[in-house]
Amino acid sequence: MANITKKVSWSSRGDDPAQGEGTPLLNGATEAARCTTRQFSGGNIFRIGRMSTVDLEEETNTEEDSVLSRPKEIPHNEKLLSLKYESLDYDNSENQLFLEEERRMSYMGFRCLEISRWVVCGLIGFLTGLIACFIDIVVENLAGVKYQVVKQNIEKFTEVGGLSISLILWAVLNSVFVMMGSVMVAFFEPIAAGSGIPQIKCYLNGVKIPRVVRLKTLVVKVFGVICSVAGGLAVGKEGPMIHSGAVVAAGVSQGRSTSLKKDFKIFEYFRRDTEKRDFVSAGAAAGVSAAFGAPVGGVLFSLEEGASFWNQMLTWRIFFASMMSTFTLNFFLSIYHGKTGDLSNPGLINFGRFESDSVEYNLYEIPIFIVMGALGGVLGALFNVLNYWLTIFRIRYVHRPCLQVMEAMLVAAVTATVSFAMIYFSNDCQPLGEDQAEEYPLQLFCADGEYNSMASAFFNTPERSVRSLFHNPPGSYNPLTLGVFTLSYFFLACWTYGLTVSAGVFIPSMLIGAAWGRLFGILLSTISSSTATWPDPGKYALIGAAAQLGGIVRMTLSLTVIMVEATGNVTYGLPIMLVLMTAKIVGDYFIEGLYDVHIKLQSVPFLHWEAPATSHSLTAREVMSSPVTSFNRIEKVGTIVDILSNTTTNHNGFPVVNELIDHNELGKICGLILRSQLIVLLKHKVFVERARSRLNQRKLQLKDFRDAYPRFPPIQSIHVSQDERECMMDLTEFMNPTPYTVPQETSLPRVFKLFRALGLRHLVVVDNENRVVGLVTRKDLARYHLGKHGLEEMQLAQT
Amino acid sequence: MRFSRDLDCHVCENCYIQYRNLQEIYHNISDQVGPTNVSCKDSLLRSDRLMLVFVLFDNLRDIWILSGCDRCVAEGLHSLTNDTLYYMAALNQSLSCFEKHQQQGNHSELCKDCKTTYKGLNELYSRMEKNKTLCIDIEDAMNMTRRLWSKNFNCSFPREETVPVIAVSSFMLFLPIIFYLSSFLHSEQKKRKLIHPKRAKSNNSLINIQDKYS
Repeated sequence: MANITKKVSWSSRGDDPAQGEGTPLLNGATEAARCTTRQFSGGNIFRIGRMSTVDLEEETNTEEDSVLSRPKEIPHNEKLLSLKYESLDYDNSENQLFLEEERRMSYMGFRCLEISRWVVCGLIGFLTGLIACFIDIVVENLAGVKYQVVKQNIEKFTEVGGLSISLILWAVLNSVFVMMGSVMVAFFEPIAAGSGIPQIKCYLNGVKIPRVVRLKTLVVKVFGVICSVAGGLAVGKEGPMIHSGAVVAAGVSQGRSTSLKKDFKIFEYFRRDTEKRDFVSAGAAAGVSAAFGAPVGGVLFSLEEGASFWNQMLTWRIFFASMMSTFTLNFFLSIYHGKTGDLSNPGLINFGRFESDSVEYNLYEIPIFIVMGALGGVLGALFNVLNYWLTIFRIRYVHRPCLQVMEAMLVAAVTATVSFAMIYFSNDCQPLGEDQAEEYPLQLFCADGEYNSMASAFFNTPERSVRSLFHNPPGSYNPLTLGVFTLSYFFLACWTYGLTVSAGVFIPSMLIGAAWGRLFGILLSTISSSTATWPDPGKYALIGAAAQLGGIVRMTLSLTVIMVEATGNVTYGLPIMLVLMTAKIVGDYFIEGLYDVHIKLQSVPFLHWEAPATSHSLTAREVMSSPVTSFNRIEKVGTIVDILSNTTTNHNGFPVVNELIDHNELGKICGLILRSQLIVLLKHKVFVERARSRLNQRKLQLKDFRDAYPRFPPIQSIHVSQDERECMMDLTEFMNPTPYTVPQETSLPRVFKLFRALGLRHLVVVDNENRVVGLVTRKDLARYHLGKHGLEEMQLAQT
Repeated sequence: MRFSRDLDCHVCENCYIQYRNLQEIYHNISDQVGPTNVSCKDSLLRSDRLMLVFVLFDNLRDIWILSGCDRCVAEGLHSLTNDTLYYMAALNQSLSCFEKHQQQGNHSELCKDCKTTYKGLNELYSRMEKNKTLCIDIEDAMNMTRRLWSKNFNCSFPREETVPVIAVSSFMLFLPIIFYLSSFLHSEQKKRKLIHPKRAKSNNSLINIQDKYS
């Protein structure tokens, strides 16, 4: 898993060709003449069904040559795959070094390893809980200061006039906070933008997103989310917790910090992608658990996203991490609030307790809930479609960092303006009840003793507004207020997601859903005026929140459990599950979930659960890349260095074949070696000629490979002299002698299943004599998906 | 029209003496055992299934606690607290001011003249709220006064400066449109270079595929 020199980014800010070295193309212009491609269609979509009309055997003629020599450029769209994403090395390379280490480890050693895995998971939970606690406290204080200042200003100017100054003050405060957060993200670490859930989904899928689990990312993310929420944007702080949990897991499990250059010399066995990915799923679960107070929901979230490598012990450890996380958060927050041991804040979002007697639902309400679920699905699809077009616009046109910061500031100012205008023009005044704990009640133009109820929705952190919508007694909200609020907040939230700030989308969508859910409940109670008490609007607010959230993110199992745990009432399990299923079915008819949309827009080679249907007609032969660059078992150093330094092909895995007499023949497979392993060998100069002199020195151990992980030096930094180029290198000890292979005639679904279930990075395709004919990587498999007209193929692009 | 306080809640003011008496008597019910080996307390309080005496006393005590009268009446329930008396004085001042200007049909005079006394009253009330020295008497009186001020006399602040607020809001809302238009027109569109990877010549499998689709 070699990190090459160039700085790659998740955001729309791709690599400018002007800076750095030339970006590697995969068989671009120079090798055009040799390759026989299959498609020259003008559009981006290639129909497999029409393959019969294309003669695969024809040689490329000259006109096509010239077309190929200029790589085609198209505006960014969602049907592209980017070259910069590699797979994780989840599959273990069982070379001789590894087998020796395993033989040397005693039974006690294995037991110690198991125990240390548990210790690491506990630590992950503890640290994630602490980070969540920190975020919560700082946001509360910062937002409190801001609202206090604005409130005093408004109260002062209500009497003497000049409220437009209050508006400007509010907008400026918002912009300043958001500018700080946005500058950190846009200039220092663009991968920390957004909620982080798409990135972690991809990581658990096995894609190596560059820089996603670094310490710098964590710092920028925490700071960014604090600034975004304090800046009053229509965002939540729960999504970024998942990303933070994952980073904590990736960092703690390695026992060292590469950024801070400190090595604690523990957990050295875990310095591989296999262990790291398992710990990252524990970290993601701990993040969910800290965000919502839902440990089981966290485990199920990790399960839903990365279940291809599941086993029971892993589930148990992840559950342990989740529990530690929520318990730590609860404990430290109770200390902060002065009630040590109170343990009433299990998560960052607290929905409040739904008392069993006041929130019963009847059987005849279930169809109503299903209708609300369908409505949530439709609204969620609308949200996703609008956000999709906005994101495409942003990727194509707003890709410079200064523009991104400016856009974020503008959104913050407009959010303040819209909130202020709504509060100003609202005539809805309500007296303040005793149980409604409004922190910053605004009186504005209401009678004394009454407060502006629009302000209770807008002039608050979104979490508190959600809680009020769930629990306020019937009659606290005016239907018109709620309707206007829903509409404006919907568009604000849709506009805000995708900005270059760290922000989540869970709470805004819940707030939108709670608002229209409550409205629905109020309308129901006016229609059925027989008994005034049966539709409790708070219950409908909860169902509406679940419906809207399900319609936007389309998570089913984990979201049900999260909501059930967060409301503390299993009674609601059935309605919430029905609502989420309905929302998903209805929404999937129009467009995918928000996170999947963003994953597609970032051109990530994401592998779904199964190969697309109707793909049995494709075999490994059509899918693979061929011919393959391979090495002999004993290879000349110069050849190796040249192939590794070749910038036109960015291969990371090379089959190792038996000695070839004739170079046009294919060699028989005897192993697989990775670029990262070759670089370590070159760095330590493990040459055959040096073997005798090295007998006095130490032989190369697995530890040397682990020390270089994860940031392997690029080939350009390895200096090989002319004499050394003539030396030979023996790859037998270090290669993986038993790579997974498939025959050429294997169907695509079968190849897909093997690749996905085992978490492979390279799959060697052999013919019936075990000779290497091709190599299947993630990009080859992820190209195929089922479109409107049958099986379609996505194209590879430079991003 | 006189602004009497007859319609207000006067629980604490009027009833504290009687409540004190009730408490003394109740606490005096002795524990001594009588001739039939049953204590006085048991025979009075637990004589019937309803436990009427006990339940009634309990409810009265709940009302006393909920109304917060403990905060208005001094220790030992002998008199009202100084704070309460001061508040009542201020309240009477405001009410007499209202009465004086009540005669005219137009309330603008009233709003101007009585503003200072009313504001003083409000501030006193907020201070007492923060110190938690409020009881239902004071709250109710304040509520009534506020209603008079805002709803009957219409003295609360009118919405005057709609125009500047609309102007500033429209300006703020206009900024993003300009931003997006300018970035659409001036930024160069991000293009992606397509890559064509190496694939194998599949001659023998061509026949299979053509068979499937022909």
